[in-house]
Amino acid sequence: MTRPSRFAWVLLLAGLYVGVPQVFGGDLYLMSNIVAALTIGGIALSWSLLGNLGGMVSFGHAAFVGVGAYVSALAVMKLGAPVFAGMILGGIGAALASILIAPALRLRGPYFALSILAYAHIFKIIATEWKSLTNGSGGLSSIPRFPEWAGFDFGSKTGSYFIVLTLVLLFAGIYHLVRRSDYGLALRAMHDSEAATRVVGVNSLLLKALMLLLSAFMAGVMGAFNAHYINFLEPDYAFSTLWTTLPIVAAIFGGYRTIAGPLVGAMGVYLVDQLVFKSLIPSGHQVILGALLIGMILWSPGGLLPPLIRLFNRRAHAQA
Amino acid sequence: MTELILQALYSGILAGSSYALIALGLALVFGTMRIINLAHGEMVLVAAYMAYTLENAYQWNPLLAIPLAVIVACMLSVVVNFLVSRIRHDRELNSLILTFGFGIMLTNISLMLWKADIRSTRSAWLQDAISFGSLYSMKSELLFFAVSLVLVGLVAWWLRASWYGRAVRAVSSHREAARLMGINPQRTELVSFLVAGLLAGFAGVALYCNSVIQPSLGGALTVKAFIITVLAGMGSIVGVLVGALLIGIAEALTTTLASSALQDLTGMVLFLLVLFVMPNGLFGTKRHD
Repeated sequence: MTRPSRFAWVLLLAGLYVGVPQVFGGDLYLMSNIVAALTIGGIALSWSLLGNLGGMVSFGHAAFVGVGAYVSALAVMKLGAPVFAGMILGGIGAALASILIAPALRLRGPYFALSILAYAHIFKIIATEWKSLTNGSGGLSSIPRFPEWAGFDFGSKTGSYFIVLTLVLLFAGIYHLVRRSDYGLALRAMHDSEAATRVVGVNSLLLKALMLLLSAFMAGVMGAFNAHYINFLEPDYAFSTLWTTLPIVAAIFGGYRTIAGPLVGAMGVYLVDQLVFKSLIPSGHQVILGALLIGMILWSPGGLLPPLIRLFNRRAHAQA
Repeated sequence: MTELILQALYSGILAGSSYALIALGLALVFGTMRIINLAHGEMVLVAAYMAYTLENAYQWNPLLAIPLAVIVACMLSVVVNFLVSRIRHDRELNSLILTFGFGIMLTNISLMLWKADIRSTRSAWLQDAISFGSLYSMKSELLFFAVSLVLVGLVAWWLRASWYGRAVRAVSSHREAARLMGINPQRTELVSFLVAGLLAGFAGVALYCNSVIQPSLGGALTVKAFIITVLAGMGSIVGVLVGALLIGIAEALTTTLASSALQDLTGMVLFLLVLFVMPNGLFGTKRHD
């Protein structure tokens, strides 16, 4: 595959930052769906970072999303932190929460996956029961929205779109840098043989813990973004299993071993789910997502993007 | 106070016995196929909804629904077995994602068919109180306690004495060696899935009779079953039973001493504690990787 030229990147960025708001900015319903899809995309990216680089399947990302959302909302509401600072605190909170589960990194495959599933339940219960801080299942309402800066309202639909787009692109950049770094090399080697990697002096446990930390931070920031975007939180929503399910479906659908895969997957899966499936089957429309997940694992576990790119390249070569 | 605690212990043991059925199915499948069926809790729940459907539509006693519940759970088991055996790459991790997807499907189908409402049995006989001295329970709880013990005993006997039971144990301990001895691993896996389905069918009806059901419950059941198998360690039926009773008692005590909302937290904390302190479980032998 030829690397996309710098010109293509500029074109893509211009399309995302100028084109999308220009074309769809008027349609508030569509815009809010795009923002939600990007949020899912960001979480899917953090999920696949853990899966691809760390070799760990997480069924507990809802915990990081929820913790990030609550920490940020509470930091802004109770401590008076600025909204953007709150979001970073939310990410740090989620990263700290991930340290609690780090001992489970010693466990392999299914054991880790299920430990983190069990672990995700704990935070929902804490958020529900710690009523003095979180107002329990009554939830937190009127969480401060994004501020106005230099005459531009970041609280508007288009403003929120810019924020979430920037976050997602930033995360994709970080992901890319990590993958290219020495850490990425060590992680790839670990994927082939963990024992051999340990012999040559790589602390595999520490590396995995760092990936978990980074992944949790990203998921936490996305959760925090969402809290300030919709201005309301309650435990059932903040820790909903949907924050785990949708990103997994998106990442698997797009291809979790690539960086663009989870993002493209999230746009496709979420928009089709919301705009098509939901109107066909109002209650229980996620049955299709489940079927999609099974189909992908059976027929194309690497996702749809890699085979599509191969197909595209073959065409390009044939024409050349 | 002592009386309350004794009552909690008693209720906990009764509740724990049906957890053992769910956990045993999960553990059997994990033993032979090295996969965790993340849709296991949802299968139990669908079995429970069979009892609800027959009671609601035909006024049948839920106990009469057991054959149907068992058949449906076994059929779902066969489907999971079929799907998982068709995974080509990295079965250990991909099977998790696949069964997770199957669980999502079952949850949403339940949501479509039976709505999100909370359901429980209306059978007055099953819900009648029965007492030993100062200890109370529902008749159904006592009944299913007995049923569970018998079933766990039967499975233990089956694993020890029958040809297929021994095949299951052989495949669990060394798949290749078992194959060389003339055991068909695929068929043995199917058998373990069928037994898991059978247990799930009974567990589902027990769940419906003893407590309440709703479509979103499946995930929590899977987690609970998994927690029990971790407490038990691999390859120990006594461990599964003790682990299940332990979880039941811990939950009942939390409800009595603190609040019912914290009930699930106790199990999780116990679980994380055991996982970190003794990863081989309370009764397990050391794993060889």
